[in-house]
Amino acid sequence: MLAIGLLAGCQKTISLGTEPVNSDSGTIKLTFRNQVGNTPLVLNTATYNNPFGESFTINKFKYYISNVKLGLSGVPTIAIETESYHLIDQGLPASLSFSFPVAEGKFISLLFLVGVDSTRNVSGAQTGALDPLNDMFWTWNSGYIMAKLEGTSPQSNQAGNKIEYHIGGFKGANNVLKPVSILLPGGKFIDARKGEVSEIILEADLQTWWQGIHDLRIGNSPVITTPGILAKNMADNYAGMFTITDVINY
Amino acid sequence: MTTRLTISLFLLLAGAVWLLDACKKSSGDNNQFNPTYLSFTIPAGWPQPATDIFSNNRLTEEGFQLGRKLFYDGRLSRDGNFPCASCHQQFAAFATYDHQFSHGFNNTFTVRNAPGLFNLAWMKEMHWDGGVNHLEVQPLAPITNTNEMAETIEQVLQKLAADSEYPRLFAATFGDPTINSQRMLKALSQFMGSIVSANSKYDQVKKGAASFSPGEQSGYTVFKAHCNSCHTEPLFTDYSYRNNGFALDPFLKDIGRMGITGNPGDSLKFKVPTLRNVALTFPYMHDGRRNSLSQVIEHYRNGIITSQPTLDPLLKNRLPITSQQRVALLEFLQTLTDQSMLKDPRFEQPR
Repeated sequence: MLAIGLLAGCQKTISLGTEPVNSDSGTIKLTFRNQVGNTPLVLNTATYNNPFGESFTINKFKYYISNVKLGLSGVPTIAIETESYHLIDQGLPASLSFSFPVAEGKFISLLFLVGVDSTRNVSGAQTGALDPLNDMFWTWNSGYIMAKLEGTSPQSNQAGNKIEYHIGGFKGANNVLKPVSILLPGGKFIDARKGEVSEIILEADLQTWWQGIHDLRIGNSPVITTPGILAKNMADNYAGMFTITDVINY
Repeated sequence: MTTRLTISLFLLLAGAVWLLDACKKSSGDNNQFNPTYLSFTIPAGWPQPATDIFSNNRLTEEGFQLGRKLFYDGRLSRDGNFPCASCHQQFAAFATYDHQFSHGFNNTFTVRNAPGLFNLAWMKEMHWDGGVNHLEVQPLAPITNTNEMAETIEQVLQKLAADSEYPRLFAATFGDPTINSQRMLKALSQFMGSIVSANSKYDQVKKGAASFSPGEQSGYTVFKAHCNSCHTEPLFTDYSYRNNGFALDPFLKDIGRMGITGNPGDSLKFKVPTLRNVALTFPYMHDGRRNSLSQVIEHYRNGIITSQPTLDPLLKNRLPITSQQRVALLEFLQTLTDQSMLKDPRFEQPR
């Protein structure tokens, strides 16, 4: 038995040289479309109005999606993406979708964390999406900026009318980590089959940052860049920004 | 029966080892990668570190030497003049000798006194306010701070990649020549985390290999009566954050731990520093506002501002240390200097 276990381990090691895609699995693709209300977000050039009538432009819009899972239909288990850390960055089109393998099955819900789980915030130097080069890591108070929105607004009293929201903090009452769980709409389901791709398309509405659970006017809070109650309130709001608009089994 | 079972198990294991070996060889491309693993030794009688900083960063000779080279390399700073070692000097127990504040890029000062770097494997949180939660991510702060090394991580990595030696050294440490921030930080952590100071006269006395003079011995008695509850043996700190009764500096306005936690109860609290090598790490306190140990003891005797709401309860009556005891205490504190660490050639600038 021991030898067989080791043999299996051995085969796996050898196969690492080839594509890591397991032919026994399906592929799930998540695509994020960042919106301002019903309009696709355009950086730098477009001017929008928030729910309080405050106008603004956006030049950076980035957020972490981590710990992605799919809920199974009728079975109390879930499919989990391994090493599941993604930085969705409106400025980098390639970052707006990602894929991962799952075992065959029918899945009815999508679960993820907006932000980086607390463990990775305290585990030393990371790489990939979590590389500090991505400008989403605080060096003076260790931890990830879970979501970042920067731009301008005439309602901001800051130099250059700057608005800047760097939302982070993974400890205590003002923890901004937000688990999101969405049932696929309209009775749709993901039918993961080997060698096939299924895609879930999500919209993320930036307007929710100002209004949702808490009213956050630009005029009152043009800058939120430290962990605290304001950051937590903004995270409470943006946790509701996601809607699944389509599920496609190719 | 037992013997036969043992033999069978042995054969099975031997076969398994052979199979594992076969696996290794089949992977092929790592023929050159053969790092020398090092073990990290906990000095006798010391506690295990709260977290093992080498658990995801296995200590190797190659990694240590790479980290050492990086630590002394000015290219980690914007203009080449500020390697880590410019503020962390070995002869000063890796603090900045005789400087209240250290010098940074473009004629700037730091805003806190540079601490000595040793026994970091036991330190869960870095900085005077504990804001940095892992040794591996610590260098990001001084490298990027505009009044320290003032460089971007991108540019540091570009400089390293363009160097004639670094790609080979990264390959020897990590198996391939890729240079990225994670690898650079892990190598730095291997070097910094390996600096251990555990061979002072105090340690020799504890081992029975030396004995205190009468003055040092009475100083040790004073230490145990008045200092040990915060500067706890054997690390000579309990790593807690405490307000020791200094006034807020009106220019720096450094509120300490509260800046990290946001909790007003943490106002003016700073990390208890170790007293190991304390004779060399002057000036003292988070902002270097006391020049000598004598002045520091005087503060605890007569200077503590007892009206501060967050003052440490242990200091509310100040410390009843007599003048005679002060002299003895100063003698004892000298026994915490570890010449072997200060002169260890493994920690010197590589040639």
